[in-house]
Amino acid sequence: MYINVTTVINAGQHILIEGEDEDNPYVAKVIRLFGDESGKQKKAVVQWFVRVSEVPLSKLKLLGREPHPQEIFLYQGRSCDDEVNAESILRPVQVKGGSYWSFWTPLCLHSHSFFFFLFQQIPPGTPRTPRHATPSIPSRSLPARRPGNVLEEARARLHVSSVPESLPCREQEFQDVYSFVESKIVDGTGGCMYISGVPGTGKTATVHEVMRCLQHAADVDEIPPFHFIEINGMKMTDPHQAYVQILQNLTGQKATADHAAALLEKRFSSAAPRKETTVLLVDELDLLWTRKQNVMYNLFDWPTRRHARLVVLTIANTMDLPERIMINRVASRLGLTRMSFQPYSFKQLQQIIMSRLNKVKAFEEDALQLVSRKVAALSGDARRCLDICRRATEICEHSPADPFSTGLVGMSHVMEALNEMFSSAYITAIRCASLQEQLFLRAVIAEFRRLGLEEATFQQVFVQHRALCRVEGLQPVSVSEGLAACQRLGACRLLLLEPSRLGVLQRVRLNVSQDDVLFALKDD
Amino acid sequence: MSKRTAKDAHLPVGECVTQVQDILRQRLCHQRLPDKPEGVEAQHRHLLELLKRTAIHGESNSVLIVGPRGAGKTMLLKCVLRDLLEDKEAQKSLLQVHLNGLLQTDDRIALKEITRQLHLENVVGDKVFGSFAENLGFLLEALKKGDRSSSRPVLFILDEFDLFAHHKNQTLLYNLFDVSQSAQAPIAVVGITCRLDVLELLEKRVKSRFSHRQIHLLSSLTFTQYLERVRTQLSLPDGFPDSRFAQDWNDGVKTLCGDKSVEEVLQRHYNSSKDVRSLHMLLMLCLSRVSVAKPAIKPADLLEASRLCFADAKANMLHGLSILELCLIIAMKHLNDVYEGEPFNHQMVHNEFKKFLQRKSNSMYNFEQPVILKAFEHLQQLELIRPVDGSSAKTQREYQLMRLMLDHSQIMEALQKYPQCPTDVKQWAMSAFG
Repeated sequence: MYINVTTVINAGQHILIEGEDEDNPYVAKVIRLFGDESGKQKKAVVQWFVRVSEVPLSKLKLLGREPHPQEIFLYQGRSCDDEVNAESILRPVQVKGGSYWSFWTPLCLHSHSFFFFLFQQIPPGTPRTPRHATPSIPSRSLPARRPGNVLEEARARLHVSSVPESLPCREQEFQDVYSFVESKIVDGTGGCMYISGVPGTGKTATVHEVMRCLQHAADVDEIPPFHFIEINGMKMTDPHQAYVQILQNLTGQKATADHAAALLEKRFSSAAPRKETTVLLVDELDLLWTRKQNVMYNLFDWPTRRHARLVVLTIANTMDLPERIMINRVASRLGLTRMSFQPYSFKQLQQIIMSRLNKVKAFEEDALQLVSRKVAALSGDARRCLDICRRATEICEHSPADPFSTGLVGMSHVMEALNEMFSSAYITAIRCASLQEQLFLRAVIAEFRRLGLEEATFQQVFVQHRALCRVEGLQPVSVSEGLAACQRLGACRLLLLEPSRLGVLQRVRLNVSQDDVLFALKDD
Repeated sequence: MSKRTAKDAHLPVGECVTQVQDILRQRLCHQRLPDKPEGVEAQHRHLLELLKRTAIHGESNSVLIVGPRGAGKTMLLKCVLRDLLEDKEAQKSLLQVHLNGLLQTDDRIALKEITRQLHLENVVGDKVFGSFAENLGFLLEALKKGDRSSSRPVLFILDEFDLFAHHKNQTLLYNLFDVSQSAQAPIAVVGITCRLDVLELLEKRVKSRFSHRQIHLLSSLTFTQYLERVRTQLSLPDGFPDSRFAQDWNDGVKTLCGDKSVEEVLQRHYNSSKDVRSLHMLLMLCLSRVSVAKPAIKPADLLEASRLCFADAKANMLHGLSILELCLIIAMKHLNDVYEGEPFNHQMVHNEFKKFLQRKSNSMYNFEQPVILKAFEHLQQLELIRPVDGSSAKTQREYQLMRLMLDHSQIMEALQKYPQCPTDVKQWAMSAFG
C-alpha cells in the first residue's frame, strides 16, 4: 500500500536538510519561505545549526566541557549560503532546549559565537568534510629568540635556508638563464631549457634569483609582465599531479589530472588576446617519467605551439638524462638548450662562506680553507660545506674555554666537525661489539681465508667460532647463541645475511672490508 | 633474617615483596626512564642543545641516532625530550609528531598521521580528509606559510628510520629534509635506526638535504661498569617505604654481585652481548623467583635464569622427538658426513637407516615405509629439515632433495641428554661411518 505523505513546513520550524550523505542531514531553522522569480522553484531562507561532530576540534576545546553527542550549536559563520531549495528539505524535527543546561547561555567561542540547544532526533554521525580549510601551522606565543652572540649570529647566517640575495660564483649561469628567459618573454615566444648538475650546486637557487630579477624588471615595466609557476617532481605523489598543480597555480581551479590536462591543452593551444608569458620551472624532472612519457611530452610540446607563450625550465641531476630516459620525440622537443652546473671548487666554496658570513668575524682563515678544500675534494656540495661550518661553531661554543684561544672557530673545531660528519662508524662499532661478536667476525674472516671466497654459510663459520672459543679459553657457545651474535651483527649491517628462516644454512658476507675488521680488532 | 626483619619492619614482608616486584618490574619491563642517562652524557648534551635551538631559536635541523638494538636510542631521545620540556618556553611552543616505520608503512599513511598529530584544519575529529596528493599539498603549503620566528617549531621523530627509506621515491624524507633546509616553518627531524649504513639507503638528492649529523650510540661498557649496572638495576631506591627492608635488600644485592659464581655467569652474558635489554631479561627471570617465602635473590636464581637464557632451542626440540625420528636425524648426519653436505632425499635416508637395522639385526625399529615417511614429514614440519628448492609440487615427496638444518654438535648434545636413549642408537651415532 502506498501512502503519499505531504510535509507542511512553516517559518519558525526546525528542519532536516539533505546532507553529503543520507545518514547525515544538516539541521536548520526556517526563517522565511519564498518562490524564486519564475515562481516555480520554492526556496527557503534558513538559520544553520552545526552538530557537535561538525565543530572544529580547536573550537570545541573552548567549550570547556564534554558536549552531548546530540547537542547542536547556532552557526554564525558566513561561509555557506542561507538559501536552500525546498526539495532538499527532508522533514521537520523537534528541537528541545534547556533541559540539561541553562538555555540560551551565550558562549564566546573564538570568532563565531555559538549557542547551544539540545537536539534529540539526529543520531550522531560522521563529520562534514572541511572544504575551506586553510593550511597553516599554529603560531607561537613568543617570537623566537634572536641570536645572542657572534657564534650564534654566524650560525644563523650559515644555515642553508638563509639564501643570500645574489649567489656568488654563479654569475655566468645567472646571466645565461636570465638572457634566455628574458629574450623569450620579450619576443613572446616559448622554449625549453634543461639544467643539470649534482645536488647542492645552486641550480634551484639560481633560477629563483633569475625569476626575482625578472619580476623586478617586469614591475618597473622594462619587460612585459609574466606568470611564474613552479612544480617539483618530488613534491608530487604521482607524475600526473603535475597537471593539477600547474592548473591550480595558473587559474586557482581544482580538477582531476585528466581534466586538468585537457584544460591546459586547450589553454596553451588556443589564441587569446593580451596573453601573458608563463614561465614554468620543473624541478626534479626525472620523477615525471612515466611509461608512455606523456607528462614530459606535453610539458615540452606546449612551448612549441604558436600561441602558448610558455617557457619551460627543467632541472635534474644527471647530464645525460634526455638521452637516457626519454624517447626520441620527447628528447627532440626538449631541444638543445642545455646548461650544466659544475661542482664548486674550493675557492668558490670559500667565497660562498665568506659572503654568507658578511663581515661577521667568527672563523679563522685556515679553518675556512680546510673546510672548503675537504668538501670540494669529496663532492663540491655547498650544503655540506655550510652544515660542517655550522657544526664547527657548535663545537667551538661548547669546547672548554682556552686562555690562548681567540674565541673564533679554529682548525681543531673544524677537524672535529669533519671527522664527525665524514668518518664511518663501522670501526668503532666493531670495537664496541661484545666479545662473542668480535670472535664471530674473526671466525668469518678465518673461514673466508680457508675457502678463498667472500661468502660462507653460518655452519661453516660456526665451526671456526667454536675453535676460536676454545683457543681463547671461553665456554663453548651453543648454536642459538652463535646465531644470535650473527643476527645482531646483521641488524647493524656489519654482516650481510640471508633471511633468518634459513637458520644454520644462511650465508654470511661481510659488509665492511676485511682490512677494516682486522684493523678494528687488532688494538685489543 | 626474615624473623628479625619482620619484628622491626614497618610493613609486613608480603607488602614489601609486592612493592619490590612493582618497582623493579617497572624498571625492567616498562623501560622506565632513568633520572640521568648513563654513559651517554656527550650524546645527551649534543641532542639537547640541538633540539633546544629548534624549540627556542627556531633553527631547522636534522639528525640521525644510530646504534645497535637495545643500546638505548629511544631512551636517550625520551630523556632529552623530558629535559627539554622542563623549559616553559620550549614546552609551550614545541609540536611533536611521532612516526614509526613499522606502523607508517607507506607515505600515504604517514601523511595522514602527520596531519592528524599536527591538528591541521583538514582534520575533523580523528579523520583526515582529502586524497593523498591533497594531503601532501596541504601539509607542504602549511609548512611553507610558516616562518622561522613566528610559527611553532615541529619535531618529527621517525623511529625505524631505515624503513622510511624504502618508501616509493622517498617522497616523505625528501620533503621533510627539504623543509628543514629552506626558510619555512622550523622543523627538526630526528631519525632513529640501528643500521650503520643508513645513509647509503638515501637517494642522492635526499642525502644532500640531510645535514649529516649522526649521533652514534655505541656502548663501550667495561665489565666493572656492567656489574655496577646490575647492582643499580636491582637496588631499591631511597624512597622505599620500609627502610630496613630496603637496606637488607640492597646489602643482599651487593653480596650477590660479589659472589664468584654470579660474576662468572654475568661475565658470560657480558661476553655474549652488551645490550641492556638482554640484561634486563636475565634480571627479570631472577626477579620472578622472589616470593614471600624467599624475599631475596640468591646466586642459584641467577644461575638458573642464565641456564634458561642460554638454552639451545633446536637441541631442546630434539629431546621431544621419537626414537624413529631421532634415528632418521642420525642417518641424515651420516649422509652429511659421507657426502660432505650434499642434499639428500627420503629414499637415501631410508637406505641409511636400513643399513643400521641390518647390522644390528634388531627388529625393534623395523617400521613400514609409510611410517618412516610420516616421521620424515614430521621433521620437515618442525623445520629440522628443509627442501632445497621451494617447488614441492613437481617432484614426488620421496625424492625431494632436503638439507639438514642442525649442526652436528647439537645432535650429539641432544643424544647425551635424551631420556632413555637406546645404547645401540647412541653407538651408531658415535660411529664415524654408518
